[in-house]
Amino acid sequence: MDPISYLRENVGTVLFYGEQHFLVVLCAIALGSAISIGFALLVSMDAGSQRWSLDWIVGAVREGALVVTAAALTVPSLALLVLLLPLFGLGAATTVTALTIYSLYTVLRNSVAGLSSVDASVLESAKGLGMGRLRRLIWIQFPLAWPVILNGIRVATLIDVAIAAVAALVRGPGLGQLVLTGLSRYGAANAFNQVLVGTLGCLVVAAVFEIFYAVVERLTVPRGIRV
Amino acid sequence: MSETTTNPHGIAEGHPDQRPMIVLEGVSKTYPGQTIPAVAELDLAVPRGSIVMLVGPSGCGKTTTLKMMNRLIEPTTGRILLDGEDVTGVNADQLRRRIGYVIQQVGLFPHFTVGENIAVVPRMLGWDRQRIRQRVDELLELVGLHPREFRDRYPRQLSGGQQQRVGVARALAADPPVMLMDEPFGAIDPVTRERLHDEFLEIQRTVRKTICFVTHDLQEAIKLGDHIAIFTAGGRLAQYDTPEGILSRPANDFVAEFVGSGAAVRRLHLIALSTLDLDEIATGSSPTAAALVTVPLSGSVYDAVDAMLDAQTSVVAVVDDDGQAVGALRWNTLVEKLQLRGLHP
Amino acid sequence: MPGLITVSRRRKGMRSYADLLSTPLIVLLGGAAVALWVSTRTLDDIEARALQPSAILSDLGQHLILTAYSTLFVIVIAVPLGILLSRKGARRIRNVVLAVGGFAQALPPYGVLVLIAFAPAPFGFNPFSVIMGLVAAALLPVLRNTVVGLRQVDPALIEAARGMGMSGRATLFRVELPLAVPVMMAGIRVALVLNVGTAVLATFVGGGGLGSLIVRAQTLNRPIVLVTAGAIVAALALMVDWLAGVAERLVRARTS
Repeated sequence: MDPISYLRENVGTVLFYGEQHFLVVLCAIALGSAISIGFALLVSMDAGSQRWSLDWIVGAVREGALVVTAAALTVPSLALLVLLLPLFGLGAATTVTALTIYSLYTVLRNSVAGLSSVDASVLESAKGLGMGRLRRLIWIQFPLAWPVILNGIRVATLIDVAIAAVAALVRGPGLGQLVLTGLSRYGAANAFNQVLVGTLGCLVVAAVFEIFYAVVERLTVPRGIRV
Repeated sequence: MSETTTNPHGIAEGHPDQRPMIVLEGVSKTYPGQTIPAVAELDLAVPRGSIVMLVGPSGCGKTTTLKMMNRLIEPTTGRILLDGEDVTGVNADQLRRRIGYVIQQVGLFPHFTVGENIAVVPRMLGWDRQRIRQRVDELLELVGLHPREFRDRYPRQLSGGQQQRVGVARALAADPPVMLMDEPFGAIDPVTRERLHDEFLEIQRTVRKTICFVTHDLQEAIKLGDHIAIFTAGGRLAQYDTPEGILSRPANDFVAEFVGSGAAVRRLHLIALSTLDLDEIATGSSPTAAALVTVPLSGSVYDAVDAMLDAQTSVVAVVDDDGQAVGALRWNTLVEKLQLRGLHP
Repeated sequence: MPGLITVSRRRKGMRSYADLLSTPLIVLLGGAAVALWVSTRTLDDIEARALQPSAILSDLGQHLILTAYSTLFVIVIAVPLGILLSRKGARRIRNVVLAVGGFAQALPPYGVLVLIAFAPAPFGFNPFSVIMGLVAAALLPVLRNTVVGLRQVDPALIEAARGMGMSGRATLFRVELPLAVPVMMAGIRVALVLNVGTAVLATFVGGGGLGSLIVRAQTLNRPIVLVTAGAIVAALALMVDWLAGVAERLVRARTS
């Protein structure tokens, strides 16, 4: 059977796994972004204080977090998944946790970069007009950094979509199940089709995310800074 | 030039209207990790409704002084009084909402429209929409930008000069009595800057703010300032005087050198033609008058001399707004007239 | 596996020194934690056999061979191709590669590996197709990094070189490539890290490597073996990345 007719006959199954894949990545990205952005906001708040020691500590914490999350991204996915198994068991929880960990660095790096790249003169005039720390962060820094942050979320999503396929090896949900089934049925009818559809299906899931982010960008990036 | 009778160094007593708007008392700033203060024991009083220019070479502490007035930089010692109130201890953000602030890089918020930029402080102060909208349009008119055309534009759609007009409008939004300006026209081309200077003085005639203005350009200081404070390195005040005083009576060698050899010529800017006793133009020989190079009565002696040199003539006709000749100025009698005014040393 | 470690990830200053020390520190702390946990328990026969040093070493050897070959191939293919694509004339293809390269991060190496193993001879469940699969999975990211890196060379420098009368070829060899060496090192590092990670999956298509250790641990269903196996693989990846980082820094120090 050729891949197309396989797909036609099994559209329900494939859609089911695709949806799982999408959702598991969505959960992880939502969680990872919330953690990373929240953390970045905390360590990027335009100090404006003259407490140098505090600034130094905040800077050290920020750099430390970047280093640790970057190291986490280097750990092979199967290794991280099995390391999490004793804590979260087989299935979705381990998968979501691992994917969340993998998303941290990219989102954090972009958030920190975006928040700190806000023009110094803009921040100075904000301060000069009497905006407090928090207001500067919410009115000025965050909206101006948002396109960069969003791009970080986008890239983290692409990475997670690929890694999520491995999660099938710890009974995680998603298109990896198709690859795994195909692999275990090597030589049987449709084994190859299953692997092919499972692999390319990830690209379709990624494309759905890309469309989603394009819409979000359209809706949330202020017109004055849209390129 | 200034009408004020307050001795700028002293702190005037008596009627509140004659009380200086900003007073710095023994203000010093030493940055952490440095031993030499950026500003040392500075006393300065800024009269109500006047423009004080802070001038000096780079690193002289003029910007530090300005930023201490709205506490973007906290003074190490000393007191700062705003309209008689010690503001060294009040909430800094609330203080800044009472003080307009304009910087060289403008710092407009790129994701806000022109209107939203101007509305920032009124919004923080909780004004209602109607009032904010009215105020925005009023201010756009004031700085010479048509509200309907500019209100909904974004900063990147404006030229440098237009951006700075919006910057000034934003600083004026909540009608603060005091404006601090840090080289606001420093990054603008000379032609536009000239025009902005004139508009700025025009606006000041209507709004009558107390303005502190940092510049490194003495020419700008002379043109705009009611008073000029010249700083030397280490944040010391070398002289605080009217433009005329600075140019004709430099207090020390530093000021004399800073003002430079062109002081006498620069001073010509300050002498309005209308204050001179002009020569008669022989009424019978009106064809001659028509053939003369003309300068407007509202101009300065500098303009008249410039016109003479430019046309290589020794006489110019001074004309009023309607183009009617009101008198003549001759090269060979010019120096006598200046002596008569008692301005030459 | 990391999908993307961008060229600009290592910057000067505090971070660069911090992570020079931090990776060994993380590995040491993690290793110590696992070792401590293992030492509190007595291993039974099965557990001890699964963690036999000789077996682990043979897995490790296979793993390193797979990684080395695939990384070599990736460099031989991706770097020259990246140079070609960075030329002026290739703008259109370059933009396509950059866009596709970005999106292709979503293509799971796991699937690619299995697909190649399913292909007819000489592919199949053997180390050769594993290496080809690793190359396929790492090619686009490395190509993308090379192109981006070369395009980052300051155009003013190229213009200056041309202005002095250097030919296009001379400019490439004497200005652009030397300046791009750190970038290429970064590309090699990306390839290494991607391949070390992906090679863990080689065991599923008959390629051996440290993935076998994990699979053995999984079938035993003993947490202690599982965690030890995972920790060993993680430590290997971190150390390889660290060594590549040190090499990158040395090269950079010499070229700039």
